[in-house]
Amino acid sequence: MRRSRQIAHFVTGGLGSIALSAVGIAMFLAVWALASRALNPVLLPYPTAVLDAYRELIADGSLMKDTGSSLARVFGGFAIAAMIAPPLALLLGYSWYMRCLVLPLVTLIRPIPPIAWIPLAILWFGLGDRPSYFITALAAFFPIFLSSFAGAQSLPDEHLNSARSLGAGTGALLLRIMLPSALPLIVTGLRIGLGQAWMAVVTAELIAAQSGLGFMIQASRLNLETARVLVGMTLIGILGASMTASLSLIERKLIVPWNYTK
Amino acid sequence: MFILGKRLEPEGKTTPFGGVSPRDQLTIVPRGASIELSQVSVFFRRAGEHVTAVLDVSLKVAPGEFVALLGPSGCGKSTLLNVLAGFRPPDSGAVLLNGKLHHTPTPLCGVVFQKHALFPWMSVLDNVAFGPRQLGFADPEGLARRMLEMVGLASVAGAWPSTLSGGMQQRVGIARALATRPPVLLMDEPFGALDAQTRGLMQAELLNIWMHFRPTLVFVTHDIDEAIFLADRVVVMRTLPGTIGAEFEIALPRPRDPVVMESGQFLAYRRAIAGIIRDEARKVFGP
Repeated sequence: MRRSRQIAHFVTGGLGSIALSAVGIAMFLAVWALASRALNPVLLPYPTAVLDAYRELIADGSLMKDTGSSLARVFGGFAIAAMIAPPLALLLGYSWYMRCLVLPLVTLIRPIPPIAWIPLAILWFGLGDRPSYFITALAAFFPIFLSSFAGAQSLPDEHLNSARSLGAGTGALLLRIMLPSALPLIVTGLRIGLGQAWMAVVTAELIAAQSGLGFMIQASRLNLETARVLVGMTLIGILGASMTASLSLIERKLIVPWNYTK
Repeated sequence: MFILGKRLEPEGKTTPFGGVSPRDQLTIVPRGASIELSQVSVFFRRAGEHVTAVLDVSLKVAPGEFVALLGPSGCGKSTLLNVLAGFRPPDSGAVLLNGKLHHTPTPLCGVVFQKHALFPWMSVLDNVAFGPRQLGFADPEGLARRMLEMVGLASVAGAWPSTLSGGMQQRVGIARALATRPPVLLMDEPFGALDAQTRGLMQAELLNIWMHFRPTLVFVTHDIDEAIFLADRVVVMRTLPGTIGAEFEIALPRPRDPVVMESGQFLAYRRAIAGIIRDEARKVFGP
């Protein structure tokens, strides 16, 4: 009983959670190592083979180049979505007419996965960077929009009514009341949207691009260089996780400080 | 996703301020305006059934008068306050502000809510300065500081509202509502969420503020003592549907001190009003 409580305390402490996370990752690597012993290295290369592949790809500069083009596409598409989705969501949250006009359309388009847009994207924008921007923007748009719209809809009546009886017009209502009120959910949407854009860029590059991590994975697959495929996969995981984590940190420290001062 | 929800934009063709800029309206209407409900009814739907929240209520509040709207919960008193504030148009009847039709929110009617009405993303000072800024007053920040001094909260001007106690938040709410100098102040159970001691202090403070600014004040409460102690006139509401049951002119001298609550006159008012309230509460409570 006492020991289990001690363990619980250790686990909830900051150091404990880091230690446990490290144990989880170490166990995963061990299972990987054991499994790759049993299998053909083309099916699953040994972890150190992947490290070697990292070294080669860094040495010839191609990893930096591919990562750079993927990141540029992610941030480009994400920036487009982040500029369109929150203002549109607030406008729809405010105006009943706009809501009736636009919301059904959004609901109909949303279930179409970004990958299904790739043929059209290639037809419209050709091969290269531009269809990827389109796909990442599309993937990031819906989570940002939906979360921002939920934020706009959750404005308490008291805040709306207070603002109006204090003389707020439409502009002030949108910018000084609805925007800050929805901000926590907008930021949540941005975080999810960035993750979606990151996932979509790889999909787009597998098919429609001549550079980037997705393209690198595809090219290595055709050469049966599985270690390089795994370089691409692990790097995508590491970069995606760091992007989400840094957005959470920014969210807590800078964007919605009033939620965290108690 | 398909729930289209409530309308935030003002309904009907009237601009929020009747075509006159909000600031001009404040200078046109004298301090302490009359506000009047004329045969107001409000209906709503609950579980598919039509419910009459308020039926044919007429009430006239004179400039500078302090009226308490008293009744058990569910009597429609908060609905009436929302109608007075212009948040909800009546389904029939009219609201008149200084004799003119009024059915959208306006800075002429300041409103203090029961709780959670401060903007959590603005500092205390910015909350109070919000109205003056919107209305283009000169030096909104200085005005907000003076209002905060008046309610004894100058020292927390830079704090987030969530860091204040419930009583402090309500004082900020009152300062914010008064910062635009509204001729009418509407209060919806403003002290209902406070503990008894804080509530007593807030009542005394509210009377001081009211004597100073002399707005026309409509105060919704379910607390009989609070209503008698504060108001010039107590309007007791009946329930199911909400109507005005009885009115009591409170002839206690001003300025009032809490010891007045032990006087025979006070207790006589209390006894009379409590009888009506008890019957009404029983009706809502059910068989």
